[in-house]
Amino acid sequence: MTVQVQSLRKSFRAHEVLKGIDLTVAPGEVVGLIGPNGAGKTTLMSCLLGFLHPDDGEITIDGRANDDLDVRRRTGFVPERMNFGRRVTGQEFLRYMAGLAGVPRTEVASRSAAMLERLGLGGAEHKRLSQYSRGMLQRIGMAQALIHGPDYVFLDEPTSGLDPNGVLLVRDLIAEQKARGAAVLLNSHQLAEIEKVCDRVVFLQRGVIAHAETLRHVDKIVVAITLLPGSFDPVTLAKISGVVPKENVVVVAVDAEGDIARIVRALVESGAGVIDVRRHTADLESIFRGAA
Amino acid sequence: MNAVVIRETFRRHVTHAGYISVLVLIAILGIVSAQSIRPATFWPGLVTLLAVVTGCGIIGPEFSSGTLQLILVKPVNRSSYLLSRVTGVLLVIWLAALTGCAAETLARLFNKSLVLESMGIGLVNVMAETLLIVSLLTLLGSITRAYFNVAIFYGLQIALAVGAAVLRMSREVPAFVLEALAAIDRNLFPDVPPLPNPGLLLLLLSNAAVALLLACLAFNQREVPYGAD
Repeated sequence: MTVQVQSLRKSFRAHEVLKGIDLTVAPGEVVGLIGPNGAGKTTLMSCLLGFLHPDDGEITIDGRANDDLDVRRRTGFVPERMNFGRRVTGQEFLRYMAGLAGVPRTEVASRSAAMLERLGLGGAEHKRLSQYSRGMLQRIGMAQALIHGPDYVFLDEPTSGLDPNGVLLVRDLIAEQKARGAAVLLNSHQLAEIEKVCDRVVFLQRGVIAHAETLRHVDKIVVAITLLPGSFDPVTLAKISGVVPKENVVVVAVDAEGDIARIVRALVESGAGVIDVRRHTADLESIFRGAA
Repeated sequence: MNAVVIRETFRRHVTHAGYISVLVLIAILGIVSAQSIRPATFWPGLVTLLAVVTGCGIIGPEFSSGTLQLILVKPVNRSSYLLSRVTGVLLVIWLAALTGCAAETLARLFNKSLVLESMGIGLVNVMAETLLIVSLLTLLGSITRAYFNVAIFYGLQIALAVGAAVLRMSREVPAFVLEALAAIDRNLFPDVPPLPNPGLLLLLLSNAAVALLLACLAFNQREVPYGAD
């Protein structure tokens, strides 16, 4: 159930927007896509979803072409801006989307009602989409993407226009998709959100992946150990932790909490002064600034 | 074909206040037509206008508004989606044609001037003519944005008429050019009187089929970028 992109290239006339992108999103993984405006994020998302035809390279989802109908049956997509006939009600829209997504006819009504309730639109199902606020449209966009329990979820700025409650709700929904084993690709400018929900972040810049950072290992605990500058030998340190330190910080991924104590003990015994040990979260803002 | 798309297209049109108003107007014109000696005189014009209005909403505007992106990620084949939209729109138009025909038939029954055969021919011709109009608009919608399809539809019609008239004034224009223009005009925008004409009916159906085939080919190849407009 992996989303795989290999050497993807896409140009618009003479302007090459994507210059050989390689990307993998594994089942149960949430990958964040960030980068400055014009980096090619939307073009990449559009190629993944089959809206645009790549010039070169390959996109496979679960080993099949991305426009395979069986793949589409298991795909969910939330656009940045929800555009649909504004005359339809929330309920009509969701039922239509559920029907198109292949939800059995007998389940369409019940699933739509449950999804509207889940997204906090319980009282607004009979309102027309023209009467929906931006945040409500975003919520119903999320509902239509998830109503059929997709295995591949593509989210384009899902929290834009949402109030704090909505943001928390989207965060919970993403966590639920991850727990179900879905592969999630999240395109967002909200670095704080990316940091909270993503396992991995890909920085796109001028059509290439300028940087990739693992924020959370799926089955590992990542810790950052800060050492007293000048108190350690980088070579010895690398032997103990298996990682070369970056300045005076060692970031290690371990299987269990007991491993953290073992590494810290070995570091102290080697003479290194351990100042701080904490769960590692990447500073996306500084990485973004560095990459941009 | 996708039943969900057909049903939704039909539902969305028939619940529209504008459509219901047109339906009432067509029924009134059907009753008025019963006063005429020639059957199916007034209401077919409004039905063809309805075909232009509803037909121009297929694909082109969906492309520009971003609606298509929501549809294209669903497990629906592009050609199947396009043909289902056409079917839904045709059902809406043909319902209007049936309403006009039924109103005129009832009025003629009352007047004792019913010519059932002529009424039937009138209805079939209108249905075939609207099929061609919707197919052409679908083809144009599959290669353009927003409502350019209707602009091209009418623009082409005017250009053919004006172009042919202007060229006819010049003696240097070869006859085959004028004949070619006339043939294009006949094929794309034929006059369809409510008279029995199997040849014309075949022309309408075959041209509609070609237009729909080309529309499917164009739509399958078309890229649908975000924020198209």
